[in-house]
Amino acid sequence: MLSMKNINKVYQTEKVQTHALRDFDLEVSEGEFIAVTGPSGSGKTTFLNIAGMLESYSSGDYLLDDINVGKLSDNAKADLRNQKIGFIFQGFNLIPDLNLYENVEVPLRYRGIKSAQRKQRIMDCLEQVGLASRAKHLPQQLSGGQQQRVAIARALAGKPRFLLADEPTGNLDSLMARQVMDLLEQINRDGATIIMVTHDPELARRAPRNIQVVDGQLADFTLYQGAPDMHVSSHAAAQV
Amino acid sequence: MFFYYIDLAWRSFKRTPFVSMLMVLAIAVGIGITMTSLSVYYMMAMNPIPDKSDRLHVVQLNTMDEGQSQGSSDNLPQQLTYRDAMALYQQDFPENKVIHMRSGFAVHLGDSSIKPFLEATRMAGRDFFSMFNLEFQYGGAWSVEQEQNAAQVAVISQSLNEKLFGSENSLGKTFYLDDKVFQVVGVLDEWNLHTRFYDITTGAFSRTENIFIPFSLVPVLEVPSWGNTNGWKYQEINNYQDRLNAEIFWVQLWVELPNEQAKAQYGQFLQAYLSEQEALGRFERETPQYALRNVMEWLDYSNVVSDDNRVLVGLSFMFLIVCLANILGLLLGKFLKRAPEIGVRRALGARKRQVFAQHIVEVSLLGLFGGLLGIGIAQLGLWGVRATENYYSALATMDLSMLLAAPSISIIACIIAGLYPAWLVCKTAPAIYLKTQ
Ligand SMILES: Nc1ncnc2c1ncn2[C@@H]1O[C@H](COP(=O)(O)OP(=O)(O)OP(=O)(O)O)[C@@H](O)[C@H]1O
Ligand SMILES: [Mg+2]
Repeated sequence: MLSMKNINKVYQTEKVQTHALRDFDLEVSEGEFIAVTGPSGSGKTTFLNIAGMLESYSSGDYLLDDINVGKLSDNAKADLRNQKIGFIFQGFNLIPDLNLYENVEVPLRYRGIKSAQRKQRIMDCLEQVGLASRAKHLPQQLSGGQQQRVAIARALAGKPRFLLADEPTGNLDSLMARQVMDLLEQINRDGATIIMVTHDPELARRAPRNIQVVDGQLADFTLYQGAPDMHVSSHAAAQV
Repeated sequence: MFFYYIDLAWRSFKRTPFVSMLMVLAIAVGIGITMTSLSVYYMMAMNPIPDKSDRLHVVQLNTMDEGQSQGSSDNLPQQLTYRDAMALYQQDFPENKVIHMRSGFAVHLGDSSIKPFLEATRMAGRDFFSMFNLEFQYGGAWSVEQEQNAAQVAVISQSLNEKLFGSENSLGKTFYLDDKVFQVVGVLDEWNLHTRFYDITTGAFSRTENIFIPFSLVPVLEVPSWGNTNGWKYQEINNYQDRLNAEIFWVQLWVELPNEQAKAQYGQFLQAYLSEQEALGRFERETPQYALRNVMEWLDYSNVVSDDNRVLVGLSFMFLIVCLANILGLLLGKFLKRAPEIGVRRALGARKRQVFAQHIVEVSLLGLFGGLLGIGIAQLGLWGVRATENYYSALATMDLSMLLAAPSISIIACIIAGLYPAWLVCKTAPAIYLKTQ
């Protein structure tokens, strides 16, 4: 589903040149659940952003569903993000003026889904994260954990095949974190491919596949952790 | 999507009510002032008689010696001598023509029921009413016989009818002009002429007269002119007959020429007439000179819309631009503060064009509010113009097209001011604001 070869990302600011990703190689198959760990500043978010076509890369090849992302127009990337990808950002990044319902609605609006259908989807998603009764509340009326769950609901609303989560449990206590993890596992069982960045080794162990990013590169590659029945394609292993 | 954008725009308006109101006010003031000057200009420049303006022509003859001028761009006098105007009026063609001049009398009813008052009066040929599209509430124009016999009959305006006869059907009733008894043969409907094109020499934006009596009464009553009288050579004028024969310009003649052919024909006739008059020794010219201008040409030639008016409109538009520059600054601040939200929207699948559209809708909404408030301010401005009483009040009003123009101009202006901020914000790279909290 996702194939990155020799991806480099260099940030050029006035004085410093940061090599956020260097020769980054990764293959991800349909249906995988991958946990990404690594020290702060190692390039995890940068990788996730590139995977989600939010950022361009300096060199290398990135194919998503066999489409060469480097050749896509800005509009095409926006449409692909909207149709295939769900994001859970490191900050919650909810829109403060919009209530929960309307926040979850945003991706559906841009997809042009009819109002009645939208309502169904939104309420389903809020139900799934246990916040349906609070649909009319504004984000600032919620706790951090609740906000994170809204962000998850928003990511799920478009029924993405590919879910990118940047520390979805970073702001939650361990009980909450485990609930969110349960939710992600549920989504994965329903067919979505998930890449999740986390600092929490316990949560990472629950993911069938772990990768570690150190200094912009894949450092360690531990297969079959925790979920030996999980299918991993052979060419993914070949990347080690 | 449009209604989604409207909804977002309205939320944005409510989120920063103070800045939003400031922007609306800035637009409103700019639009209000622009629309005030534009409305006056528009009414001044508007065709006062659209269905006939191409056909109605004012006759100008140069019956002065070569080298004499009346200060106009082509040296022609604006009016005619009595003898020329009468000579042309008495021709059989063109069929429709009107001779007229402005005079005035003391009006009363011959008893003490109302206090006598001075009233401008138009001495006119009977075609005046049909040619200039006047409508009657009662009666009509005087007859050909009455005109020929210089009968003391009058057509009066609705407002004078109200004043003298309490608005009732006053046909056949009499009133006095100075010491002469006049009989009412017609009462006009309301006549709202914003530009008094038929006699610009006494003020293009003055009120139309309330009394009309046959021009044939001019020599009979020896009526004084309440308009301009211009001469170009010394002549002794000892009595009214001298005045009628003198080389002085104080009478106007309008003719209706239905097409170019009629106009050319009439032009040839005027040329021949001028040669004939020159042969009589009245004046000496190398070539005969005349002009036949239709209504709009006549207004243009007479500088009815002065350069001052144009400068005023220009200045007010510049003021609008200053207002817009301020709005542009406020919009920049407001939109750029929203960049993180836009980053999220882009990440969730909004195209650049959609983000751009969202912001253009938002500025359009500001423009709409500003335009509506601007109409209010413009009404205040026009009320001020009317209060100065330099202009006929019909001039300082907004008609429907101006009322519609106000929000349109406002919205367009706001969109122009919003283009740059909207473009900046839609360029927001989706990732930048998502990395950090
Ligand atoms: N827009 C940018 N401009 C310049 N440098 C950047 C930018 N974004 C990231 N970097 C740098 O690139 C490196 C990788 O950043 P990234 O955000 O991917 O780290 P991370 O692994 O997500 O860290 P954390 O665990 O703290 O979230 C860092 O050194 C960071 O300073
Ligand atoms: Mg990060």
